[in-house]
Amino acid sequence: MSDRTERLIQIFIDSFLPLLKAGVAFTIPLTLISFAIGFALAFLTALARLSNWKVLNGIARFYVWVIRGTPLLLQLFIIFFGLPSIGIVIDAFPSAVIGFSISVGAYGSEIIRAAILSIGKGQWEAAYSVGMTRSQALRRVILPQAARVSVPPLGNSLISLLKDTSLAAVITMPEMLQKAQQITAVYYEPLLLYSEAGLIYLLFSTVLSNLQRRLEKRFERFSAR
Amino acid sequence: MIKIANLKISFGDHEVLRGIDLTIEKGQVMVIIGPSGSGKTTLLRSINLLEYPTEGILSIGNSRLDFTPQTKPNATDILAFRRQTGMVFQSYNLFPHRTALQNVMEGQVIVQKKSKAEARIKSMELLRKVGLEDKADSYPHQLSGGQQQRVGIARAMGIDPALLLFDEPTSALDPELVGDVLKVIKELAGEGMTMVIVTHEMKFARDVADQVVFMDNGVIIEQGSPGQVIDRPTHERTRLFLSRLNDSVVQNQKI
Repeated sequence: MSDRTERLIQIFIDSFLPLLKAGVAFTIPLTLISFAIGFALAFLTALARLSNWKVLNGIARFYVWVIRGTPLLLQLFIIFFGLPSIGIVIDAFPSAVIGFSISVGAYGSEIIRAAILSIGKGQWEAAYSVGMTRSQALRRVILPQAARVSVPPLGNSLISLLKDTSLAAVITMPEMLQKAQQITAVYYEPLLLYSEAGLIYLLFSTVLSNLQRRLEKRFERFSAR
Repeated sequence: MIKIANLKISFGDHEVLRGIDLTIEKGQVMVIIGPSGSGKTTLLRSINLLEYPTEGILSIGNSRLDFTPQTKPNATDILAFRRQTGMVFQSYNLFPHRTALQNVMEGQVIVQKKSKAEARIKSMELLRKVGLEDKADSYPHQLSGGQQQRVGIARAMGIDPALLLFDEPTSALDPELVGDVLKVIKELAGEGMTMVIVTHEMKFARDVADQVVFMDNGVIIEQGSPGQVIDRPTHERTRLFLSRLNDSVVQNQKI
């Protein structure tokens, strides 16, 4: 084996644990926390969009319009580099959580709204006909069915988010991509190290994909397919 | 007793019901017939408040709802009224994520706040009544149309309605499955259940109805016993409708 190959293998092995650590310490928590908050935000926004209350509806529309219409990276810049100039200083991790949650909230709200709308009028009517109120109908009849419809697109969002957390590197977060950059600065092996980081992303996203598949399976029991 | 007075419904500029007056006595079975677009389904749906009348009065037992073009009753009164009526839909509309048993239990547990154990006993009894005791744990997609519709009837019965409404309950069914559903409805009629049924099954209407109402163009054209309305209609429009219906039945049989 040549010296070069040996060196590369050594760098790969030495870097694996630090990269994985950065992933487990930052990428994963950032993804899960942001998704949880973002999902709650998405749900509330979807309900606001579906409500008859014009003001609420307007606020929800405006929110989705602004967030979908501007780059995520720019939103992170505004939160982390912009807000301090009006006296609001937020650390990198909470900044990233805020940025990602807001983003998931906007995109996710459209997924949830579409899923709710995909459940036919007949289901609402059946729920009303047994005497349910609107909120009972939503909770007991519509949402359980909408949940099934929204699992694949929400799974998409979660995996997108996992990869988007790499953007937090530019607001000083020592997450996986930044870690790879740091190690690269030492060894000058960008191809190897970025590929290695990519491999770990792939590992994480595969786990999430499996989770999605399992969730879909659970819902299968009451569907004809 | 259920009373409907001067009931009108408009969808935009189109007046679908143009002043309906009806009284349904306790224990009576009323069958509504008429061409499509006559407003019969809208009338039925308005009694379950799935459509809000533009104008008119609905009363059942002690509750009464007054609709005027300017005002409608508050949500609580509407809910209280609706909870006294059960609805069986043309396309069944069972909850696909719940088993047959859970479908029947749902309203009892969530709306009537019964304990699960209590609701289960009553629901099993109702499933037995519609002949589907052995399908209690099946999901709707595992059942035939006729079976789903019978679960739909059990579900509507579960909330102890004072009035049971049927919106063309056999129209979506394969011909060989119609009989089972009609049999269940007939049994309910025999037990003194008050019902309003929209249907195209004339033979069934003749068998089960105390009153037959013929509607066309948003008004009641004539009303009376099956013998009067179906066999000896006095209005030209009723005669025309029934003869067309007969023609299509005969044609279907030829094919």
